[in-house]
Amino acid sequence: MIDFRPFAYLIPILPILGFLLCLLFGKYSWRRGGMFANLTIFGSLIISLGILYNVYFQGMSFYEKSWNWFYPGIVFGIVVDPLSIVMVCMVSFVGLLIHIFAIGYMGEDPDKFLYFGETALFTGAMLGLVLSNNFIQLFLFWELVGLCSYLLIGFWWYKPEAAAAAKKAWMFCVVGDSLFLLGIVIVYNYMFSAPGITEPITFSQIFSSLETGVIPPPMLTLVSLLTLAGVCGKSAQFPLHGWIPDAMEGPTTVSALIHAATMVTAGIYLVARTFPIFMAAPNALWVVAIVGGFTALLTATMGLVVNDLKRVLAYSTISQLGYMLCMLGVGAAIGAYAVGYSIFHLISHAFFKALLFLGAGCILHGLWNIRSIKEMGGLRDKMRITSITMLIGALTLAGFPLTSGFYSKDKIIESAYEYGEIASKTGGLVHYLPWIFLIFGVFLTATYTFRMYFLAFTGKPKTYLAEHAHEPKPISSMIMPLIILAACSLIFGILTQTKFYDFLSTTFTTTTAYMSALNFEHLAKMGGNPYGLEHVETPLYIELLPTVFVFLGIGIAGYIYFNNRVDVGKYIKKGNPIYKIVWNKYHLDYVYRNLVAEKFIITLVILWDVFDLYVIDGVVNGISWLTVKSGTVIRRVQTGVVQNYATVILLGIVLLLTVIWYFGV
Amino acid sequence: MYISAILSILLIGSIIAFLTRTREQARIVAVTASWIALGLATIMFLNYDPSKGLNNFKEFYNWIPSIGISYHVGVDGIGLPMVLLTVLVSALCAIYAWGEKHRPNEFFGILLLMNFALTGVFVSLDFFLFFIFWELVLIPMFFFIGIWGGPRKDYSAIKFIIYTHVGSVIMLLGIFAMYHFHGKATGIYTFDMVTLLSAYSTIPLQGIWKDFIFASLLFSFLIKMPAVPFHTWLPDAHVEAPTIGSILLAGVLLKMGGYGLFRFLIPMIPNAHHFFVYAIAIFGLVSILYSPLAALAQPDLKKLVAFSSIGHMGFISLGVAASIAAGHEIPRIFAQSGAMFQLFSHGIITSVLFGSCGVIEHHTGTRIIQDLGGLAKKMPKFTFLMVAGFFASMGLPGMSGFVAEFSVLAGSYPQLPYFVIIAIISIPLTAAYHLWALQRAMFGPYNEYLGDITEATWYELTALLIWILLILALGIYPTPLFNIMRSTAGSLTSILPIGGIQL
Repeated sequence: MIDFRPFAYLIPILPILGFLLCLLFGKYSWRRGGMFANLTIFGSLIISLGILYNVYFQGMSFYEKSWNWFYPGIVFGIVVDPLSIVMVCMVSFVGLLIHIFAIGYMGEDPDKFLYFGETALFTGAMLGLVLSNNFIQLFLFWELVGLCSYLLIGFWWYKPEAAAAAKKAWMFCVVGDSLFLLGIVIVYNYMFSAPGITEPITFSQIFSSLETGVIPPPMLTLVSLLTLAGVCGKSAQFPLHGWIPDAMEGPTTVSALIHAATMVTAGIYLVARTFPIFMAAPNALWVVAIVGGFTALLTATMGLVVNDLKRVLAYSTISQLGYMLCMLGVGAAIGAYAVGYSIFHLISHAFFKALLFLGAGCILHGLWNIRSIKEMGGLRDKMRITSITMLIGALTLAGFPLTSGFYSKDKIIESAYEYGEIASKTGGLVHYLPWIFLIFGVFLTATYTFRMYFLAFTGKPKTYLAEHAHEPKPISSMIMPLIILAACSLIFGILTQTKFYDFLSTTFTTTTAYMSALNFEHLAKMGGNPYGLEHVETPLYIELLPTVFVFLGIGIAGYIYFNNRVDVGKYIKKGNPIYKIVWNKYHLDYVYRNLVAEKFIITLVILWDVFDLYVIDGVVNGISWLTVKSGTVIRRVQTGVVQNYATVILLGIVLLLTVIWYFGV
Repeated sequence: MYISAILSILLIGSIIAFLTRTREQARIVAVTASWIALGLATIMFLNYDPSKGLNNFKEFYNWIPSIGISYHVGVDGIGLPMVLLTVLVSALCAIYAWGEKHRPNEFFGILLLMNFALTGVFVSLDFFLFFIFWELVLIPMFFFIGIWGGPRKDYSAIKFIIYTHVGSVIMLLGIFAMYHFHGKATGIYTFDMVTLLSAYSTIPLQGIWKDFIFASLLFSFLIKMPAVPFHTWLPDAHVEAPTIGSILLAGVLLKMGGYGLFRFLIPMIPNAHHFFVYAIAIFGLVSILYSPLAALAQPDLKKLVAFSSIGHMGFISLGVAASIAAGHEIPRIFAQSGAMFQLFSHGIITSVLFGSCGVIEHHTGTRIIQDLGGLAKKMPKFTFLMVAGFFASMGLPGMSGFVAEFSVLAGSYPQLPYFVIIAIISIPLTAAYHLWALQRAMFGPYNEYLGDITEATWYELTALLIWILLILALGIYPTPLFNIMRSTAGSLTSILPIGGIQL
């Protein structure tokens, strides 16, 4: 078979080309631009799969190539290794399915060509991000996907909520991104002044220099935490998680593509890509684990009370991202395999969450954009295929045995437990926290997922629209992707589990032309991480606990919500303090918006403006006023009366004479 | 010969434009002359030889030999990009102003005169010549504001000219002091820039005079850039200036200050008081932080954009200071070439921003953000370009602003880490006011009180599109331009003591 690796640079370029074609000719083409977007992403998919075949089945070596950019050491480059191949395959595959779905979903929207242009650009940028071999290029694409996210959330810009949500998304991300930029600046600082480094500053260069101590360990921690700040923005982790629920104002396909399957996982990918840095940085992974675990639990509770179908899914996305991040964090005890475990969940999540969002898209399509699950009900009979595929998605999300979500999530929880066992021996019981967060998260996930599912699909239709809902034609562009994604969600886990882990763990532990194999034990020792200290056998009851919780969660949801058996309103009043605090999203939005943005920043800014106008400009105008004024005063001297002048002349002569006489000149 | 050709074409074009009778004639003259100048500047850019430095395209004729005044012009990696920027922005302005109705022949004549004077500033290598051009720039701008300006045009025009003139006069004293002391020490009285700048470190001077010369030049440049707190003339001038005036003012005129830092102050710094390095860095940092906070408070879109300029110019001061301070060679050259790149990049980015303000004002009759809303409905193509410009101004990677600002930040961190950390705070704030303005002005439901407005005209769109394409091109592949700047930055850095100045 052909060697596809040298064509890897085409993977991001093709969809970006598609963007240009959509912009220029999209209006006049088949499906108004859909053709360009779909064909170019299909091209990327072919190349990605080709490379996967080359490297996985034919055993070709990894591939890295750099082109000089604008300053020595700053390069454009691509890296092809298991981590990036697997990601590009996922992005182009899921991206293609969602694009196919969008051909039907976007229907006759007048700006359809723009939609496809922007999503194609997004896909290209995401693929570029994954293939980047250095921080600056990654940051470039990182911001580009953010830009596409901004534009697509605000795609229906005439809706005030959409315009506000777009701004909110960018603001949350930019807070993280600016810190991330600072992290990059610090890394480059040390790399620039490292003695003897003339090579391009790529990830592999940075990893190789880790062991020689080019960057001092406290600085590594700083860099890691700044990177984590960027991750918190883009992957919506606590405390910057608040933008994703609002981002649901965009088209549902956008939510599926950007805010579920791909862009929000960029943060996870970033941590995975720079995992050696985190490993070598003291205490960094511990923070990662806590942030991830806490987010997973926190947003799962929010998912329990929201009634907006898309927002339930949004909260579950944040929660699942928390699982992936936490997995990388507890990788302190597991080493290179943590990347494999985390990315495995990332991919299975991409399948089932894209599936759920596309299913939600079908529902919204059938119900004229009604989003509240309280106004649905009974859709099971009206939308057969959607209900079955969504059931598969929900089961996978909950982690029901034998679905891919079960395998991926189980591994994460087991690792968290292992981490707790090992780390608590030296660091105290607090290291069990990630595991505790995650295990309760499993229970809540199962509950809120099936609350949503039962409310929407079972019982009696609650509104006129729900009663007359119907789903798109069976073999339309909207149904096919659902079926394919459902199949992937079901079988992906069974087919690939262990091979996947082995394949991915070679990313950092194989010697390539650009990087010698990393010694994780050494890195872990630098960072004070418990990797390699001992091996832990997980007891059976710990292994079974997640499954038990899944059944428990589904059972409770079923008991209450199946056919609306129990009226929850009777037991939990609107005034219930716990309910209220969760409903208000733990008042975080209030703090950011009302306290920080409106009270603090606006007051500051108004004072600032007053200062500018009246103090700084006041001084300037004061000086000119003084000049004019002194002119008017001094002008009075020029009276024009000859006698006055004569008097002054006389006085002057007298004064002069006195002086001369006095000093004896 | 290229430089004299550009200057004479612009001057002759300007005179012809004044003499024309109709709008059609005037604009044809303006477009022709400015595009020929652009063509010549492009040829200069392609033929530039980094190894020759200031001897590139050098022309030297004695003018008034008795007091040492000559016609000495030439460009290096500092001057050439500035010349290119000037003729580029002016050429696009000539297209943008295609539909000007009010006294068009004078308008285009002044546009070309402005172009002539600005080009002259960036090519002069004789202090006398330089000062003539430096002052000549003020006159067309005064008339731009005074004739085509808004309601408070008289106040703003006078404030502009007096404020910047105060700076010029003080600079003139500094130049005279240099001329005098050099003549006294060597017996050769000359205004030649190269001679005087290199003599600054060799002629015996008492400390106070040395510092005075340096401070007088610095003061003048800080007003021109402008750096906080010498910035208050800028928002007033912008608010009242016509669109073309604003584009030239922010796009090119402010760059004279930044250009001065590179051309004069960096060669002089080894012998000046080291306190000045800190001063430059602090002025830069204060401007970077001050501008977004002030911009957030502005109800007027144009004033908001005017404040954004101040912040972007702050990066130049920061980069200059960082390139002087002690540290490793590589980041210092990086910071300095980044600051030079910021000069160019901000010139084209801010042109888009002011061009957008102009389009909005021409088509809706207002610039007050609250009175706009949902313009994307009526002006989709224009909105696309404006959003691109705004994101460029926010420093989106892939656009030229990012290359410049990243270079300055990454190059400054090793020398001035705390400055960089504080400067990072400005990034979210900068994003905030840009997005806030976009959301209120362009998105959301259409404000029906605006009546029926039309899409931007073809010439406005063309000019904006070319600017955006340039921003993208320079953001993705800045290398040709960046390399020219880097070579000059390298030679400037080599003048400084090895390892920079210990602060």
